[in-house]
Amino acid sequence: MAEEKVSKSAAVKKLQATAEASAYQKAWFADLKKRVEAGEDFAYLNADVPLEVLRAMDIPFVVNQWWAAICGAKRMTRKYFGLLRDAGYRDDLCSYCATAFAESLDPDDHKIDPETGKELGPWGGLPTPTIAITRLTCDCQSKIFELFAKNHGADFYVIENTIARKAPLNWFELDEDRWEELYDEDRLDAAVWELKELIKFLEHKTGKTFDMNKFKEVMELINEQEGWYKKLRDLIAECHPVPVTVVDTINAVMQAQWQRGTRWAADHARRLYEEVKALVDKGEAAVPNEKYRLMWLGRGIWTDFAFYQRFEQKYGAVFIWTMYLAMGADAYIRNHVEKDPLRALAARYIGMEDFLHMPPWNSQWYIQQAKQNDIDGVVYMVPENCMQAVEGSYFIKKALEEKGYPVLIFKADPVDERKWNAETMGGLVDKFIETRVIPNKDSKEKEK
Amino acid sequence: MTIRQCALDCEAFAQLKHIYENREEIPAKMRADGVKVIGKLGCDVPDELIIAGGMLPVQIYADPEKELKETNVYLEYAFDPMVRAQFEKIVDGTYAGQIDALAISNSTDVLIRIYLYLRELHRVEPDKAIPEVEFIDWLFTRKPMHEARNELIAKIFWETAERWAGRNITEGEFFEAAKLCNDNKAALRRMQALRCEGRISGCEALVIIGAGFFMEKAAHTELVNTVADAAAQWPVIDAPKVFFTGSNQEDTSLYEMIENAGLLIASEDHDWGARVYDRDVNLDFTPVRGLADCYMLREFSGKKAFVSQRVAALNREVTQTGAEGVIFYTNQYEEAASWDYPSQKESLEAAGRRTFGLFKMLWPCDRNEGLADAFAGLAKSMKGGTD
Repeated sequence: MAEEKVSKSAAVKKLQATAEASAYQKAWFADLKKRVEAGEDFAYLNADVPLEVLRAMDIPFVVNQWWAAICGAKRMTRKYFGLLRDAGYRDDLCSYCATAFAESLDPDDHKIDPETGKELGPWGGLPTPTIAITRLTCDCQSKIFELFAKNHGADFYVIENTIARKAPLNWFELDEDRWEELYDEDRLDAAVWELKELIKFLEHKTGKTFDMNKFKEVMELINEQEGWYKKLRDLIAECHPVPVTVVDTINAVMQAQWQRGTRWAADHARRLYEEVKALVDKGEAAVPNEKYRLMWLGRGIWTDFAFYQRFEQKYGAVFIWTMYLAMGADAYIRNHVEKDPLRALAARYIGMEDFLHMPPWNSQWYIQQAKQNDIDGVVYMVPENCMQAVEGSYFIKKALEEKGYPVLIFKADPVDERKWNAETMGGLVDKFIETRVIPNKDSKEKEK
Repeated sequence: MTIRQCALDCEAFAQLKHIYENREEIPAKMRADGVKVIGKLGCDVPDELIIAGGMLPVQIYADPEKELKETNVYLEYAFDPMVRAQFEKIVDGTYAGQIDALAISNSTDVLIRIYLYLRELHRVEPDKAIPEVEFIDWLFTRKPMHEARNELIAKIFWETAERWAGRNITEGEFFEAAKLCNDNKAALRRMQALRCEGRISGCEALVIIGAGFFMEKAAHTELVNTVADAAAQWPVIDAPKVFFTGSNQEDTSLYEMIENAGLLIASEDHDWGARVYDRDVNLDFTPVRGLADCYMLREFSGKKAFVSQRVAALNREVTQTGAEGVIFYTNQYEEAASWDYPSQKESLEAAGRRTFGLFKMLWPCDRNEGLADAFAGLAKSMKGGTD
């Protein structure tokens, strides 16, 4: 089978930091399971929930998008969506958010295969959460989280979402220091209120106390971590050829991003930077024949990471950019935390939806990033069944192409391998490189 | 059954039907007389403020026959077909000639996207004939902060309405408009009571309710009350009563199919039906408090509520209606309610009610093969036969 040839295991990762992040996640997850088994509260969070509060309160948690990616990479989707169907739910919706709910329907999740001795659930299955928190950034998401919470007997908590009236085009220049200028004041006020309510809920539920000094420490650690990502993103951007591709950076960054606010995550980000810097200093290239630099827009293809590498030998086309590193670099840092730590966090978490899913903020950032990274072509994956990821693809394509960056849009699903055909998708990218990227670069070179 | 002769013989109903079928007529006439016409997208745009400013609110609706030339350029496939068709009329210039501005409420995630896209279109393609757009960002969770924030949202829209009206809107004008709207809802609730008795069909109700989107409130109230007076003597429809939950029905075609099959739609929870008269503005509150209270505390909608809230809401509504069964019907890409369905079905069936689910439906409804037969089977089985 063609798809098997380019399975996840075929993706070649070169960085120690990537392997280290994966190893750390496994050890951390094993420890988390022990804590939950010992009776600690355990929270399941959507990615845009301000996890910093839970970190400061030492409440163990797992982030939905990371867990869905693990389930996708472990090829659990087919089974899980069958379980959804059997329970009367649609099996073709909201794959990113419904994966964990589907897993909660699996009676074998925490069992061991008697014949092979292997765990049947991904990483032995998700421990039973006592808390499920999401934001109302999508009509479906809160419903799915509530169903998930009910299945696990967990408390369900939601945080509201507001829509920006102000939309300055250069958010990435304002967000670190000038967030009062970036956002509508009342949106920040509401978000701070939400944080205070969340703290009250968590204190009541877990019996733990929110410590503002600990929280400041968490926020400063995050600034440290994301600062390394900024240096790393800038380093990769200026290297021709690049020292690493997205296959390394996505895994190294995404896993550590969900550990943000810990000493380990900040140190890991530093080690990641230093490792890549050492490669640069030695003159090493991820793809020595790099000719074309590609940007990947949208979520990662968790079921087929090797996809990103299949254009390297044939064309010298290298995926060098995804949002995973660049969001860390540009969207998380909030300086002068000490002035008002909760407001600084509010200014981080309310922006995530805006930056990624709201034109013109997303399109203007992509242009700036395409320029900084000297991009030759943009491959843009739009999920078929997720309204949250509907983010103005027309405007993004138009904005990038008007600036001279060819864009390929295709439909796919980040975790549902049933909807993924590497040959078909690869063919689309082949054609795009041959008919758009190469001629476009040639003509730019001639102009120079 | 659908629209019966007794209804057609009623002059007030005939007038409402004419307005329902000729939706541009009154707004065009009023606009020619200098009245500003404000388009509404979403079910949570406060009529009260638009009316208080001396303007006419009209509901944006789709044209199922129109080719989606513009929409296919701008919108991804994940937008549901009715919204796609509404968007076409907004971006192709149709509405630019019919309305002076457009207010969009965040009643669904899809409409939030539509607002963002229209705002961005104004920025990047400013020559396009698209009306000025304002967004109303209510919060629907029921916490104290949300009440305060919703009062702020009402204030912001108040200022916008004043700008559109070109003058200040006084509290007195607001209360007068709110009373008009409350009276209108009261009249519609009279009509609803007759629906539950079986004296008004679902199709007739859609016409009575829907005409109100395209005319002055006071005139609509008068016609609805006149119809209610007459309908008290209309024959009772002898058919199993069902409750309809799901996609908005901007015309009567689907209801005709269901009622022609031998069922009676006694109520519904969509925005072109009974949801319109769900909750009054409390005139004892301050204006912004009254608006926040009305729009935040209406019955939980299929889009902006949790599964447990939707289960309870549907149970309440079906019980009030006395329906024997519930038809779940959602169009393709209108996904949120799909997550409610299994729990709602379980709860309703535990209470002895029939459920009938249809999802991923093509729009308009006549594009679905075998749909009329499916409803006929349901009607037969509800009447005691086998389906």
